[in-house]
Amino acid sequence: MIDGSTTAGGSSAEDPPAGRPGGPRRGSRHGRVSSGFGWYLFKHAGGAAVSLLLVLFSSFFIFRLIAGDPIDQLTKERPVSPEQREAMRAELGLDRPMWQQFWDYIAGTLTLDLGESFQYRRPIFDLIVERLPATLLLSGTGMVLAVALGFWIGTRSGWKQGSRFDKGQVATGLLLYSAPTFWLGMIVILVFARFLGIFPVNGMRSPSTPPDFWSQAVDIGHHLVLPVLTYTAVVYAGYLMIMRSSILDEIGSDYLTTARAKGLRDDEVRRRHAVPNALLPTVTLVFLALGSVVNGSIVTEAVFSWPGLGSLFVQSIFYPDRPVLQALFVLFSSSTILAVLCAEILYWFIDPRIRRS
Amino acid sequence: MNPHALTRRCLSAAAALTLSAGALAVAAPGAAAQENDVDTLMIATNQEVDTFNPFKRRFTITYETSMMTYETLVRIGADGYEPVPGLATEWTESEDGLTWTFTIREGSTWSDGEPLTAQDAAYTYNLLIENQAIHDWNIDFAANLVSAEAPDDTTFVLTLAEPAPAEVLYREVYIVPEHVWSTYPDPSADDANRLPLVGSGPFQVTEYETDEFIRLEANEDYWDGAPGFDEVVYDYYVETDAAVAALEAGEVDIVGSGMQGGLNPAQIGALESQGHVTTNDAQGRRYVSLTLNHGTVTQDGTEFGDGHPALKDPVVRTAMHTAIDKQALVDTVLDGSGTPATSLIPSIFEQWHWDGGGELVEFDIDAANRMLDDAGYARGDDGIRTMPGGGEPLRFRFYHHADNTAYATVVEFVTEWWAELGLDIEAEAIEQGTLNDLAYLGEFDIAFSGWGVGPNPTEQLGMHTCAVLPTLTDGSERSSENSYCNPEYDALHEQQKVESDPAARAELVKRQQQLLYEDAPVIWLYYQNVLEAYNHDTVTDMRTQPAEGGMITGQQGFTWSYYTARPSNTEEDGGAPVWVWVAVAAAVVVAAAGAIVFAMRRKQTADERE
Repeated sequence: MIDGSTTAGGSSAEDPPAGRPGGPRRGSRHGRVSSGFGWYLFKHAGGAAVSLLLVLFSSFFIFRLIAGDPIDQLTKERPVSPEQREAMRAELGLDRPMWQQFWDYIAGTLTLDLGESFQYRRPIFDLIVERLPATLLLSGTGMVLAVALGFWIGTRSGWKQGSRFDKGQVATGLLLYSAPTFWLGMIVILVFARFLGIFPVNGMRSPSTPPDFWSQAVDIGHHLVLPVLTYTAVVYAGYLMIMRSSILDEIGSDYLTTARAKGLRDDEVRRRHAVPNALLPTVTLVFLALGSVVNGSIVTEAVFSWPGLGSLFVQSIFYPDRPVLQALFVLFSSSTILAVLCAEILYWFIDPRIRRS
Repeated sequence: MNPHALTRRCLSAAAALTLSAGALAVAAPGAAAQENDVDTLMIATNQEVDTFNPFKRRFTITYETSMMTYETLVRIGADGYEPVPGLATEWTESEDGLTWTFTIREGSTWSDGEPLTAQDAAYTYNLLIENQAIHDWNIDFAANLVSAEAPDDTTFVLTLAEPAPAEVLYREVYIVPEHVWSTYPDPSADDANRLPLVGSGPFQVTEYETDEFIRLEANEDYWDGAPGFDEVVYDYYVETDAAVAALEAGEVDIVGSGMQGGLNPAQIGALESQGHVTTNDAQGRRYVSLTLNHGTVTQDGTEFGDGHPALKDPVVRTAMHTAIDKQALVDTVLDGSGTPATSLIPSIFEQWHWDGGGELVEFDIDAANRMLDDAGYARGDDGIRTMPGGGEPLRFRFYHHADNTAYATVVEFVTEWWAELGLDIEAEAIEQGTLNDLAYLGEFDIAFSGWGVGPNPTEQLGMHTCAVLPTLTDGSERSSENSYCNPEYDALHEQQKVESDPAARAELVKRQQQLLYEDAPVIWLYYQNVLEAYNHDTVTDMRTQPAEGGMITGQQGFTWSYYTARPSNTEEDGGAPVWVWVAVAAAVVVAAAGAIVFAMRRKQTADERE
């Protein structure tokens, strides 16, 4: 969950989304949405709800396993009297009994009153709302690029399996895929920011930029390049491999032979016939990727000091800022759970075999 | 739309994005260059802002912004941490030490133009006395205040319950503007975070974007003269390595203790080779020590914890002390960036530091072995010593912080030396929270500790007095550093608190340190230097604290360095002129447009061929 690449890994080549068969072939598009859908939806929504509840409960306890007294952190390297400790304890609500803290947490989370951060001393809900756009911008852009790049290369790789292009692309993709994000990010910083000096090292905008819209937009775009580059480089191989194997599934099909027999050029056969069919099984993958847009770039954000949810999470771990960790854990987990649920619902409509069963 | 067209559109979008990234690379610096008439001092940081309220702040970063925004009556000097005039030009202490009279500087103003008077000082000290939350937050000082009055605009009178000269002079009470703060319903709450802050110091916080930057603008009417820079900006870096790269690339001017954990010797080494960077290996305020569990005890004498009985014997503790080569630790672990420690107060505070007076324990393993032999700790068959008269072997648990690699190296050295004494050391790396829990429960034998010491050593010395021993055995009261309780030490402590003569006070404080050294409940290993670096092409004339071998970042009482800093005009701008950037940007845009046109034409011909 910590690393962008691991998140993508959960749904990448080695590990196709669980229980997803090779994908629909020429299934009837007009399959009747019977009362079966109600049950199907209920089953999966119920499962998701149970997962959400488990996440909600476990989040409270997991971060209480991090030992130590939060007051020690708040007063680091500064002696404080017992009275001061008590005052701080009361202010943070740590003097309340555990069951009451638990109840406050559950009720608070459900009403989006997530409490106050230990380190920022501000409502966590505000912190999250403030940082969400930065994360969506970075992960969203990175995800779009990674999917486009992965599918584009994957298609060509699969089509010419065993060629020099295929071998080179797969090797490059997997090399980047397995590179630690942190390390890759530092290399990118050294090359583009330090030696070439054409991109900034950190943050989302520079403090000296004029406040007007265009200056800000250009400045944010300028800062966005390196993190997006790093993020895309790390995750695109997942989509490359899926698309490649999906093409390989199609490549021997009769309809392609038919298409060729009609006299279409190889390029046309690939683009007009093979790709549309190969794309179907990857639709869920893209949907799952949406779930990780919220939490997919934690390490990238930290390396580039990108002021999003990921670096908030890292800062909070170091602190440790328990209420923030709790809230982010719930947010990250539930966005993934909901994305999976959406993918499952979507599957009802695009995979006729599910409707039949 | 067929899927094929979809892919193509995605690809076009991706291509456009890539190309526009290229355009941004060259266009953005040009856009930013237009703003370059403001001289900005950029400082790297990774610390959160807890609050800008100077009475409730806890973090170093907000300590610095408070020091720049507001001012104290008495400053802490840059030469040797001595009290020097701030908002008060002079002050007198009454015979009984209970009444202090300050003369407030005439002609100083708030950053909004209002005059600053003794009324503001009285208002501020009265917040400490009357506002419950602020009072509680500063209880150790505020409890001693009786009244704060301003008989006229330049005279401020403070009355105490007990004499406390050092506290009055060193305690940083930031004078806040009554005309602004009195409009707040509760000055202890978040109203004090409203930007821009109104203060009387050299820079005021005007803008803050969480985890992006904090901007402070210069107070052009500052009574001591306008600062050299137009603004100070704290820029956020999560990783220190990124901040180092930014200093190398010229994006940030100063990297130092603003980054928690600071720079390490390897990073300093890399920066030294940069032509535009000056590194500073300054004395630090921080000590690293080993706490020996000589028996944890409550105020009423109840013993708790499970420390090894041998550690109750001063002979064993002194023998262990004798078997540590502190200079070797400084040379190897710190790469020379530190000083071997004697006792509690680091040598940076020359006035208070006890140098041992020629009576320091010399590293001598043979002598240490003889001490243990003479005290009857005989070696068993396995070479491990046992308690006198046989029995329990001297097997000690040695806990160090899992996140600190320097400590791990110290452990390797020390364990080896102690093994030569016939001690069986079980070293264990423990996560810091757990380590604290165990330490305050007394469930350890040897543990690392480290604190930063302030210009007024009372707080730190106070952690070793009987008064702060816990009343409960559950480890929840954490004011005593190591259950040390020595009436002689306590008597000295009370004396030094009320002693007005610095020289006489220094004698008392040094005697306290000597007691700690001889009793050895704690072995002080070294004082750690502060490693920092700055870009001397952009900034110069920063005053260090103290004057000799002092630091730029992490100053106390007043930010002398940032106030005296001036832009160094060794070069024009550093970058290419704006027109170059504009030309390159135009070229890239043309190339991008060309590429897109080409791609579309290719698509068209492809369509036609079908």
